[in-house]
Amino acid sequence: MKYAFYPGCVSRGAAPELYTATIEVCKRLGIELDTQTMEGASCTGSGVLQEKNERLGDTLNARTFAMGENSGLPIMTICSTCQGVMSQAKARMTDVEYRESVNSDLSEENLEYKGQAEPRHLLWIIIEDIGIEKFKEKIVKPLTGLKIAPFYGCYIVRPSDALGFDENPERKHSLEMIIEAVGAEVADFPGKSACCGFPILTINEKNSMKMVSNHTLSAKKEGAVAMVTPCPLCHLNLDGYQPTASKQVGQPIDLPILHLPQLIGLALGIDPKSLKLNQHIVNTEKVVSALALTP
Amino acid sequence: MDVDLNIARFNPDAEGKSPYRQEFNIEVNETDTVLDGLIKIREEVDGTLALRCSCRSAICGSCAMRVNGQAVLACNTKITDLVSNKNKSINVEPIGNMKIIKDLIVEFDTHWEKIKAIDPWIKTDSSPPEAEYIASNESMVELAGVMGCIQCGACVSDCTVLAVDETFLGPAALAKAYRFIADPRDEANSQRLKDLNEPSGIWDCTRCMQCVEVCPKGVDPMGRIMKLRDFAMEAGFKNTNGARHAEVFSEIIRNNGVLNEFWLPVKTFGMFNIPEMLKLAPIGLKMVMRGKMPPIFYEKIPGYKNITKLFEKTKVL
Amino acid sequence: MFDFDVIVMGAGLAGMRAALAASQNGSKVAVITKVYPVRSHSNAAQGGINAALTDRGDNWEDHAFDTIKGSDYLADQDAVEVMAKEAGSEVINMEHMGAAFNRDDQGRLGVRAFGGQREARTFFVADFTGQALLHVLHEQVLNSGVKVFEEWFVTSLIMQEGRCNGVVAMDMRTGELHVMRAKAVIIASGGVGRVFEPSTNALICTGDGIALGYRAGAGIMDMEMVQYHPTTLKNNGALMSEAARGEGAHLLNSEGERFMERYAPNMMELASRDVVSRSEQTEINEGRGIDGCVLLDARHLGEKLINERLSQIRQLGIDFAGKDMVTDPVPIRPGMHYIMGGIKTDIDGQTSIPGLYGAGETACVSVHGGNRLGANSLLDTLVFGRRSGEHASEWVKNQTSASVDDSYSKTDREAIQNLLNRDKGEMFGQIRLNLGQTMNKHLAVYRDQNGMEQAKSDLIELKNRYSNVIVHDKNLIFNTNLIFTLELGFMLDCAETIILGALERKESRGAHTRTDMPDRDDKNWLKHIVVSQINGEPKVDYVPVNITKWQPQERKY
Repeated sequence: MKYAFYPGCVSRGAAPELYTATIEVCKRLGIELDTQTMEGASCTGSGVLQEKNERLGDTLNARTFAMGENSGLPIMTICSTCQGVMSQAKARMTDVEYRESVNSDLSEENLEYKGQAEPRHLLWIIIEDIGIEKFKEKIVKPLTGLKIAPFYGCYIVRPSDALGFDENPERKHSLEMIIEAVGAEVADFPGKSACCGFPILTINEKNSMKMVSNHTLSAKKEGAVAMVTPCPLCHLNLDGYQPTASKQVGQPIDLPILHLPQLIGLALGIDPKSLKLNQHIVNTEKVVSALALTP
Repeated sequence: MDVDLNIARFNPDAEGKSPYRQEFNIEVNETDTVLDGLIKIREEVDGTLALRCSCRSAICGSCAMRVNGQAVLACNTKITDLVSNKNKSINVEPIGNMKIIKDLIVEFDTHWEKIKAIDPWIKTDSSPPEAEYIASNESMVELAGVMGCIQCGACVSDCTVLAVDETFLGPAALAKAYRFIADPRDEANSQRLKDLNEPSGIWDCTRCMQCVEVCPKGVDPMGRIMKLRDFAMEAGFKNTNGARHAEVFSEIIRNNGVLNEFWLPVKTFGMFNIPEMLKLAPIGLKMVMRGKMPPIFYEKIPGYKNITKLFEKTKVL
Repeated sequence: MFDFDVIVMGAGLAGMRAALAASQNGSKVAVITKVYPVRSHSNAAQGGINAALTDRGDNWEDHAFDTIKGSDYLADQDAVEVMAKEAGSEVINMEHMGAAFNRDDQGRLGVRAFGGQREARTFFVADFTGQALLHVLHEQVLNSGVKVFEEWFVTSLIMQEGRCNGVVAMDMRTGELHVMRAKAVIIASGGVGRVFEPSTNALICTGDGIALGYRAGAGIMDMEMVQYHPTTLKNNGALMSEAARGEGAHLLNSEGERFMERYAPNMMELASRDVVSRSEQTEINEGRGIDGCVLLDARHLGEKLINERLSQIRQLGIDFAGKDMVTDPVPIRPGMHYIMGGIKTDIDGQTSIPGLYGAGETACVSVHGGNRLGANSLLDTLVFGRRSGEHASEWVKNQTSASVDDSYSKTDREAIQNLLNRDKGEMFGQIRLNLGQTMNKHLAVYRDQNGMEQAKSDLIELKNRYSNVIVHDKNLIFNTNLIFTLELGFMLDCAETIILGALERKESRGAHTRTDMPDRDDKNWLKHIVVSQINGEPKVDYVPVNITKWQPQERKY
């Protein structure tokens, strides 16, 4: 299994631990990553660029899709936001007339998006291409006794008609499937598909922090020792700004936030340091040592 | 087939006044909706069950409620879509972000206040023509899309910003505002955009798409809010963090192809915005110490010039 | 105490139009509505609104004639003339207020064809014209000085010496009754759909205003004229707009035949509604139906047109009949939809009771006579809503306020308390269902003496059962159980007027088709039947039909 790796902007910037963990995990899972094809691919626009000009966003993503098609490899994403933005762009460009007009802008680079590229998140690739049973077989250090709270990130669960949920209904609870597959228990809490507040961080910090504290505290209430998310933007807010949120709500939180590959990596027996678990703002010691105690 | 409707109830007249749950097991047909089930309960089993409903065909907007945690119209939610051989229980609650009056009936007062707050009527300075205003069919079809809103409150119910901040205008009011700005006959765009640009307006939406997901009429409130942001920026209202954020984001991608999270917040607030820079500093410091600091010097991707060209072609910035 | 110049009961199109007109003319206006205005049943009207615009070479007289012929010559022609003449300005007025009417290539208002009309003169907003107009009118009301009492339920009219001086209404939030004084009351509370089961109508269409008018002694006219819409879904009675046929959809029987060829060779599927409903019912009765339905076939219209102009009904077909009209014909059958009858009014909305007005489906002017053309109802609500509001507003300038005090709510308060005190009895649901079933059996498309007599005796029994009805919910706050029970009382009164009118009319005309008297009898029955309640007993009168230009002819499509 080989994929054109599309790491997105944040995993190469403020969340490098995600990039490292992804490489490590993919090695162990037999997922071969081509890191060349997407070198020249732009940011997806993250929904922010689409605010200014939706068509430009679609053009940039069509360009990325075309590059993927040329390589003959399926595209892999590791960020809920990248996934969602790409899926939405793809949905809009199923209209052949629109796609052709977008392609006319790409013609100068000799690129043409043919409507075939299907970018998918590592989360979905594990369930759909590896299969949950085969995945379970690779687990060497099940996270028995650990309660982990899933936090999806808006863009990988909505809007459901752009994300292929009808054809692939398992995507709806994919994160919970992974948590259970690595031997842990799901700490179900109401905000698991809600918003982390990252998009309004610079606009309304008060509301953003309230979202962080609401979700982390309600996850803790369900007994979670950690939260896992497939979106580095959510991670930036839930982890990076957790101290700020804690201060605003006037309560300690101290809930470690794991990137998806980090959770998987721990269960695959990769050592925490290689997964850069020491590079979080909220200390992950608790989870790591809890793991050390489980047989 | 039979089904269990587990309903969140509240009797405001009762002593002690606490919400409680009640489960009803009823026989339903294959094609029955949740509303059919609820009506059956109130007509045959328990006449005290209170809910709003009217048209039964997803037009009047009365029967919005949360079914299995998500806001829907009860009258077009089929029971067979929600139950299976393993699970025949359906959870029914009043919609969120509104105060409960009784059982499934909530206070819509705040909702209407917000609708009124955006001046929901056509404003013109000039007198209307003798006959109809001339307008393109495209503009009318666009309007008909957003005017498909039946004010059911589903988007308001599940809005993640309203869940933490009740001052936010909300998806329904903002979509209604879009209806006027997109109407070629309304002449108050500038003033409308100015008002919407204020705190608790268009920039407070967190782009979570809940409103898009739950809207039973395909109104796409978030999409309309995004368009309003675009209009606001084009009309020259660029002096908000939100507008600056979008502008800076655009500029960074245009010049480098990928994002740089160091410069994004710095430029959004403004380098000389000392209070905000001071707030950012400790976080930035922590990130440096953890090796998470993005490079201060931009990293341009190979072929970044092609990106710049695409921006120019689409005439952005 | 609440005190207004004009009180409007009902916040649908007619009610809000009347309120706006009265308010613009200087009156202090209140609208009392049992649901939020945008929930009113006007929002279910799909197809469009008729108007003859002279700057397009259309002629109001043609529209008037089409309407009169459609009415099977029972419509009052002076009223029809008023409606046809004023239609154009009403439509333009709505457009100026912001209605998003469909446009042609020149950016002018676009039209579609509609039933019973030789010229395409129906203006529309996709296939939700009613909702579109209702919301625009609501926007205007929000910007006016009209005070809207939302989720208030009128329990009775205040009558003093034969004059209407206000209403008694319950604030549903608290359960408290309030006396509301007014110099004029305009009833615009819609139709009686729920008296029939199934019906295209919303659950709130319980004939409240017609019953209140009846109880107060006003004349109730032409109630036997009940329109069965040709295309309703079997499952829940939902309406599939005439717009589909207007855009070219066909009706097929089980043999795949476009059967309207045999019944209305000229207008085919766009013949007037009673003709099409009768044709469908005949096909079904004679064994050429499928599961009690015939088929609406729109496949040949193409996905693009369906999405642009018929998107809402496409969704209805998918949601409630499991059929996507882009790829499949949709099974439909005639279903109760509208009542041409109502409180008798003149062309300014005045009823036989001073101080009491009526507009919209509640009223019978009569512009629809024995059968209403599609897209004339939206027009009716706006034209006569406006006229009632204007007239009432002028009239009250010369009226003094009556002396009305809180004691006027005593009767209703006691009646409600008695209801709530009862601890044994039958729930309202089964009574309502049986009422609807009996009306749908005996007062539907085809009627006969035996059936109607059966309905009459069924009604007596239902009224007896109603006198023992129990209300489970004894609480005051938002007691929907109580409201439904009170509404059932209104429905039973409306049913009485329908059965009386139907038994009285000894001919077939318009929507009233008797298998035992199948011919139209202009010599004896070119007249309206008016039912009123004097000292609790029903009385029947006749009123001649107003004829101006168009002498009754044989009605062929």
